Amino acid sequence: MASTAPTTNAKEGLANLNVTAALDIEGTIPLESVQLDGLVVLKIIKHCREAFPTPVTGQLLGLDISEVLEVTSSFPFPRAKYQVEMMRCLREINVDHNTVGWYQSTYLGSFLTHKLVETQYFFQKTNNKSVVIVHDVSRSTHGNISLRAFRFTPSFMEAQKEKKFTNESLQKKKLTFSNIFEELPIAIKNSHLVTALLHSLNEYEPLPIKALDKDKVEVPLTPNFDTLELSLDPYIEKNLEFLLEAVEEYGQEQSNLAFWQRSYAREQSKLQQYLQKRKQENQTRQAAGLEPLPEEDISKLFKLPPEPSKLDSLLITSQINNYCKQLNQYAGPTLGKLFVVGELQK
Amino acid sequence: MPINAATSALNLSFSPATTTGFVIPQSRSFTVTVNPVVLFSILDHFLRRQENQDRVIGTLLGVRSEDGSEVEVRNCFPVPHNETQDQVAVDMEYHHNMFELHKKVNPKELIVGWYATGANLNQWNALIQDFYSKAVLPFQAIHLTMDTALKNDEKLLGVKTYVSAPIGISGKPENCLFLPVPCDVKYFNAERSGLDLLASAMNEPARTTSLTSDMDNLEKAILTVQEMLERVTDYVNKVLEGSVPANNTIGRFLMDTISVVPKIDKTEFEKMFNSHLQDLLMVVYLANMTRIQLAIAERLQLLV
Repeated sequence: MASTAPTTNAKEGLANLNVTAALDIEGTIPLESVQLDGLVVLKIIKHCREAFPTPVTGQLLGLDISEVLEVTSSFPFPRAKYQVEMMRCLREINVDHNTVGWYQSTYLGSFLTHKLVETQYFFQKTNNKSVVIVHDVSRSTHGNISLRAFRFTPSFMEAQKEKKFTNESLQKKKLTFSNIFEELPIAIKNSHLVTALLHSLNEYEPLPIKALDKDKVEVPLTPNFDTLELSLDPYIEKNLEFLLEAVEEYGQEQSNLAFWQRSYAREQSKLQQYLQKRKQENQTRQAAGLEPLPEEDISKLFKLPPEPSKLDSLLITSQINNYCKQLNQYAGPTLGKLFVVGELQK
Repeated sequence: MPINAATSALNLSFSPATTTGFVIPQSRSFTVTVNPVVLFSILDHFLRRQENQDRVIGTLLGVRSEDGSEVEVRNCFPVPHNETQDQVAVDMEYHHNMFELHKKVNPKELIVGWYATGANLNQWNALIQDFYSKAVLPFQAIHLTMDTALKNDEKLLGVKTYVSAPIGISGKPENCLFLPVPCDVKYFNAERSGLDLLASAMNEPARTTSLTSDMDNLEKAILTVQEMLERVTDYVNKVLEGSVPANNTIGRFLMDTISVVPKIDKTEFEKMFNSHLQDLLMVVYLANMTRIQLAIAERLQLLV
């Protein structure tokens, strides 16, 4: 599986040779979890927040050690040449310069696009253990950070490689919307120094300061009650809106497919008719003692319309599923909060 | 929050004219705020230093208020340097390249100063400070230090910020006076949740944590509120009993908090509550229906 890993790691220097060797042996172990450095979390949040609501992407650097992918650094990704220069600069200061994936910001979980599929395919083709980390800025402002790590399943990689998303091939690979991606659990790890920093930040007496946005007075590491925010209706509203849009697109996709089916059936019947006619003609010709006309060239006369790619509908269904899940995830705590308020009013 | 509360900040006012002939706009109060990502990056850089290196330096990026009296450090990047007993070499080309790269991502962030690890200031600090001062003219360069050796009295990662002032008649670059300036940590709402997450790993022996679901997070928040309420009730009861003297300030805070709770007519509230509940349940129901439909479609597709 990780046949490319040793080559990409080759430049890592002596210290990592052992790791590379270990990889060679255990290269077939599939990834099971992603471990993010605290710094990476903050860097991703910073980049995504600054660009919000424009979606942004960036690159993840780190190492994969058997089934855990350790992400230790990241940088924003404005264009292609930037990446090469940045990697060179980072190598000079001993940052792990092995690409292990990329991150993307999203708004309300609407991240399943063609662009994402293409980029992730590219990354996963070069390094099989690449992941994409999706960060939802709008959800993270409600007090609970939203980070998810995904990678394509092997069957989807195959389908994308062949660029074939017909009914038949999908069935053969048992590929449905629910197994395009596999989601990996994310763990966060702090270095000892960062732990020390967090303790230092916690030690100081909180003093009122002016916060950057709004008039809120916020101090690091005091209890955070953003999760208790009650006005979640806009969120659900927006989510439903997106869901409707996706359903509409899905409908369109369906009518496209129906159209194809109709035209396919029409052409098919025309072809059959012609074939029948030719056969009859041949029979009469045979009876008259003449050479039969060839039957092979007929299929060239009629062009059967190609089956449309089902990738779109796959992505849309996956997206719909995602929205529904999100609604459910959101509704739970909201119900809880609602009852809390109900109790409060009594 | 002042993270350098331990230092006795020295506020001296200068005559605006200095040896360089430029006007320093900072003569009034001067504040520095630091985004947590900067502190994390510095620590990461220090962890990845060369084997024989005692300390690391790097460039601070950020934004200034118009008059230059408020500086917000938002980002930073490491700069390789070499330091021996009698000379110091900083990789200027690297610094310029990296700054160009950063400018492409966020053109608003400018050079505001530099950082170094270790609590000591020596003559090399003065020399490097001189370089950065020239880079940020007509403003003043900020020098931020972090005591990564944890050798100070409080055993904390003392973050300190300084500005410099030239001393002596000749104005040589290595002659300068570092003046401590107050420094705060500030962040945005979205970063808050990230920082909270990192902080939850603070007391774990393995230094790791995993993401929590919305529900778990809510539970945690409610438990904290409960605990706080209990503490307040306990205090109030004690005051009523007379075992603890009443504190007017606390009383006023409690008054304010209670007055914030909105008073709504009971029937009105009931109506609102029920309609809201119905809406929510409806949405959940529809979402589940959709998911079931999808699941059926999936099964059918595999059956065909």
